[in-house]
Amino acid sequence: MTDQDHRAKGVDHAAFPTFDPAGTVRFYRDVLGFPVVHSICAAGWGPENHPDFIHFFFDIGNDDRIAFFYYFGAKPYSDSDRGDAYASFGPEVPEYFIRSRHLAIHVDNYEDLMEYRRRLDDSQWPVEMQIQHETIESIYTHDPNGYMIEFTMALRPVTPQEDLDATLTIDALLDVVAEPDPTFGKLLARKAELIVQRAADWELAQAETAQP
Amino acid sequence: MTALYVLDVPENTPLAKVAAEDPEVSVGRIGPYFEITATGPIVIDRRATGCRHAVWYSSVAGVAPGSRIVQHDKNALRVEPVTEPA
Repeated sequence: MTDQDHRAKGVDHAAFPTFDPAGTVRFYRDVLGFPVVHSICAAGWGPENHPDFIHFFFDIGNDDRIAFFYYFGAKPYSDSDRGDAYASFGPEVPEYFIRSRHLAIHVDNYEDLMEYRRRLDDSQWPVEMQIQHETIESIYTHDPNGYMIEFTMALRPVTPQEDLDATLTIDALLDVVAEPDPTFGKLLARKAELIVQRAADWELAQAETAQP
Repeated sequence: MTALYVLDVPENTPLAKVAAEDPEVSVGRIGPYFEITATGPIVIDRRATGCRHAVWYSSVAGVAPGSRIVQHDKNALRVEPVTEPA
């Protein structure tokens, strides 16, 4: 639990390096239709080996932004085809792990999700997967830099009990990882104890809050 | 005693309904969770629930100490009492 007030206002920007600024602009501006909203042209300064660079930003909605660094003269640091412009991986790293990191952009409804699907499918970066998850539906592709990009919509609003469930999951997880050899089975056992301790009181408190 | 907890959200309600069809199984509530209990095993057939895989594999909120999941695959969820080795 936290009783600190929550002052943050979403993502200002998330920044990634690119070796392919032309492809990046085509993908985000021309294919997806994300406006360019800011850029910085900077002569290298600070560390001696810092190259001159362009830092450029696209609006991803909600006044949030995705940003890229293009460094003049820099070449990809790896020729591996497993990974992205930022990091590459050897054969010992499993695919599920490489595919874990991604940016998900929210849309309000299925019509908007399908509009982005259409824009991507008409481009050289077509949708690779469309998946109905537990309570969201998503499309996925990789941008020209190899970064996985998801567009996602909620299938229904999140219910209050899901917030309780998330709280109990995290409390159980912290208990289980504090002990040796954490497993999913141990987490479910600990969570069952927390449900018995706290779920009934939570529901009573919800009912009291709801009273006029 | 076997006890399984499932959060009451629209995707999970078929799971509680299918579990309750077994006369040996009771489905009660504790807060916003279904509390599914039995003296012996609890077996829920996935196809009978109609749950798609993403829902099916994330539907279990808790398994009471003294019970354990012995099967959770595309066919069924089976929870049994823990039997101590003799």
